[in-house]
Amino acid sequence: MTAHLRNLQGNAACALGAIAAGCRFYAGYPITPSSEIAEWMAAELPRVGGIFVQMEDEIASMAAVIGASLGGMKAMTATSGPGFSLKQENLGYAVMAEVPCVIVDVMRGGPSTGMPTRPSQADVMQARWGTHGDHPSLVLAPHSVAEIYSETIRAFGLAERLRTPVVLLYDETLGHLIETIATEPPPPEALLERKWAEGPRREYRPYAAGEDLVPAMARPGDGHRAHTTGLTHDETGFPTQDPERVARLLDRLLGKLEHHRALIEKVDRVETEDAELLIVAIGIAARAAKAAVGALRRQGVKAGLFRPVTLWPFPEEGFRSAVATAKTVLVPEMNAGQLVLEIERLAPAGVTVHRLGRYDGEPIAPEEIVAAARELVR
Amino acid sequence: MNEIALTSADRFDIRDWLRLEMFPHFLCPGCGHGLALRAFLWAVHELGIDRDALAVISGIGCAGRLSAYVDANTFHVTHGRPLAFATGLKLARPDLTVVVITGDGDGLAIGGNHLIHACRRNLDLTCLLLNNEVYGMTGGQVSPTTAAERYTTTTPAGNCEPGFDACKLAEGAGATFVGREATLQVPTLKNLIREAIAHKGFSFVEVISDCTEIFGRKNALGNSPEMVLRQKAGMRPDNWGNKVDRPFRPNPFPTGVFVRKTRPEYLELYEAMTAAARREERD
Amino acid sequence: MGGMLQIRLSGSGGQGLILAGRILAAALVAAGRRVAQSQSYEPTSRGGLSRADLVVTDAPADFPLVTALDYLVILDERAAHASDDLLAAGSVVLCDTRRVTSRISGPFALHRLPLWETAIGVGSPRVANIVALGALAAIGGIVAPDLLRQKVVGLAPPRFRDLNAEAFDTGYELAAHAPTVARPSQPSAML
Repeated sequence: MTAHLRNLQGNAACALGAIAAGCRFYAGYPITPSSEIAEWMAAELPRVGGIFVQMEDEIASMAAVIGASLGGMKAMTATSGPGFSLKQENLGYAVMAEVPCVIVDVMRGGPSTGMPTRPSQADVMQARWGTHGDHPSLVLAPHSVAEIYSETIRAFGLAERLRTPVVLLYDETLGHLIETIATEPPPPEALLERKWAEGPRREYRPYAAGEDLVPAMARPGDGHRAHTTGLTHDETGFPTQDPERVARLLDRLLGKLEHHRALIEKVDRVETEDAELLIVAIGIAARAAKAAVGALRRQGVKAGLFRPVTLWPFPEEGFRSAVATAKTVLVPEMNAGQLVLEIERLAPAGVTVHRLGRYDGEPIAPEEIVAAARELVR
Repeated sequence: MNEIALTSADRFDIRDWLRLEMFPHFLCPGCGHGLALRAFLWAVHELGIDRDALAVISGIGCAGRLSAYVDANTFHVTHGRPLAFATGLKLARPDLTVVVITGDGDGLAIGGNHLIHACRRNLDLTCLLLNNEVYGMTGGQVSPTTAAERYTTTTPAGNCEPGFDACKLAEGAGATFVGREATLQVPTLKNLIREAIAHKGFSFVEVISDCTEIFGRKNALGNSPEMVLRQKAGMRPDNWGNKVDRPFRPNPFPTGVFVRKTRPEYLELYEAMTAAARREERD
Repeated sequence: MGGMLQIRLSGSGGQGLILAGRILAAALVAAGRRVAQSQSYEPTSRGGLSRADLVVTDAPADFPLVTALDYLVILDERAAHASDDLLAAGSVVLCDTRRVTSRISGPFALHRLPLWETAIGVGSPRVANIVALGALAAIGGIVAPDLLRQKVVGLAPPRFRDLNAEAFDTGYELAAHAPTVARPSQPSAML
């Protein structure tokens, strides 16, 4: 397949990106506004020798994805807020047992059933802290159909390489948006892959990791006969409550993503070099912010945009360098104030942080950001 | 040690199938689950299944802990979800023999929905549900199979719900193989599990186990041998007339194979139906 | 052809507006432009307000949703005033004479045409969307009519190809020969 321009829906781009990344298993449950991903996967997966299954509920979908990944397949599921809540249980298992998988959350208005067909960005913190216990989170936040395609591919690479669940987080507007994009599958050698256990069984310790903190995974059938559990375990994979071993496991789990920040982090900066007003946004709000930066610059306001494409772990250094020249930070987001909490935590002394929020089911428009920005620099 | 020779040997020695470094095991004295595990491993041994091609998936609870003792590819997953994990694993790896070990709480309460749909889907999995009538791991709370009027830590005045008949549920949901045996007769149980694993499609086996330490004590059911003998009193093999002596035996439970039928297996059907699907034009 | 164009096709659910939007988008991509298309996702098949929006650019759009319309098609009274805030001098409004009953007025070029009745005349009210595309092509300024006609035929299911072609041609003639209330401010380079 060669690159050609075509009009593709965001959710379709997600499905095609997954297949380009080598995803061969999808388990899901219907939920607006993510169902098109399942529909595309149901049609496309058999054509590449893959398996699609619609499970009995959101919990089972997440479980089946982990099961397939434990069997050696690249696997994914997709959902929206209510389903994302249900998936947190097994998402935590994937964190603990270090099972690669990709979970797409197409955000809609909440809480509860909320507004199934209206956009929101209110799962920013659920994506970070949704499952119980101390845990790392790897969350990618694309802002266009083209980026949904490329970030889905990146999500699989990071999941496989780092043995971790990766959440792809975008809003309903982007999921249903159709844009003209080029879909060019990356060459196989460009994909990041899982590290499989090799060598004799007696030398294999399932959760012993080298300097990169990522243990090699046992593929069932290869003779390693490993044990996988959601209980706190030591390097053998068997449960332990020995304080030293418990701490060692959690140190490694929490340190794993920190150790690989260079691989994980991705940011987008628009006119931040001399920006006195820095806008921080993700998803469709970042598209409005891009248009707003252009408009503000034309009006003589030194505005810039910092966009964390990798949302969690938050790209702290990228933000610190983008905010260096700023006096004011504006965070437009379609929620009651979630991303702004992280920006307030990281903003240098003397820089004021402001929020522009809406949670009425409408996307933030460029002129709203322009108006808020003009008010701040007046 | 030559592992392959041990697997294919005629003589069954359970130690060949266990991770002996995990012993002593955590089960209470008198618990029936060890007998259930023995019957399962004996069946696997007789079927000549390579331990590297065997996957055992269990949930949470006393039954859930058993997978860790089996020298195979083992997965101890979240509460109630082992069948859903197993569905993903089997679809990804049809070359593996995938057996789920669950309990009455894990499989019928929190995981009841997964059981229903696994029966209906008919993927080639085997589910062993070890029924000891109680949540043992958490200290003896009432479970979906606790008989009416029984005492547990959460039914201090007696259970006001009827117990669940897991085999009728499995049959109603469309399982193509359904059977029940007690830990009283390990060879009989072994034969049932053996047939279940060999069955193409979803097979469900309820194992009547006993919880002496918690459930037995709470209900004054005696020591372990006494509890096992109570199994004998209640059992009704499928070739017995269940009605004959019912007045004299208040809580009989039928045993044997209840369902043994052929229906297309899920993955075979999926592959056949999607192979026929033609590529559609998409703009 | 350069510059950004913002287009909305609006009406009620079941009028094929989203399909018409896809056809128009496909023609625009074939002409080398980039399109961002969004639409209402409410249960539109039950007859609520339905719309398909296109933002047409040469490079990927910063903001992909419409903010000020260059072209607006209104096929049903339900959509008659839903887009008032997005209209300005220079907008072109194409409005059905029968299904839109309230008065549409403003400082924009208004084309009131019997799109619905024309579709019935061609064979089915279901092709009112295609009649509207034909009329838009005649009004001009969006995409070459030949290219749009090619997509109208090419993207239709085989049994609708002839009907779609006739609907498009009839819509084109209808607009080409109709007296307009005002000329579009943007002269068409394609006609």
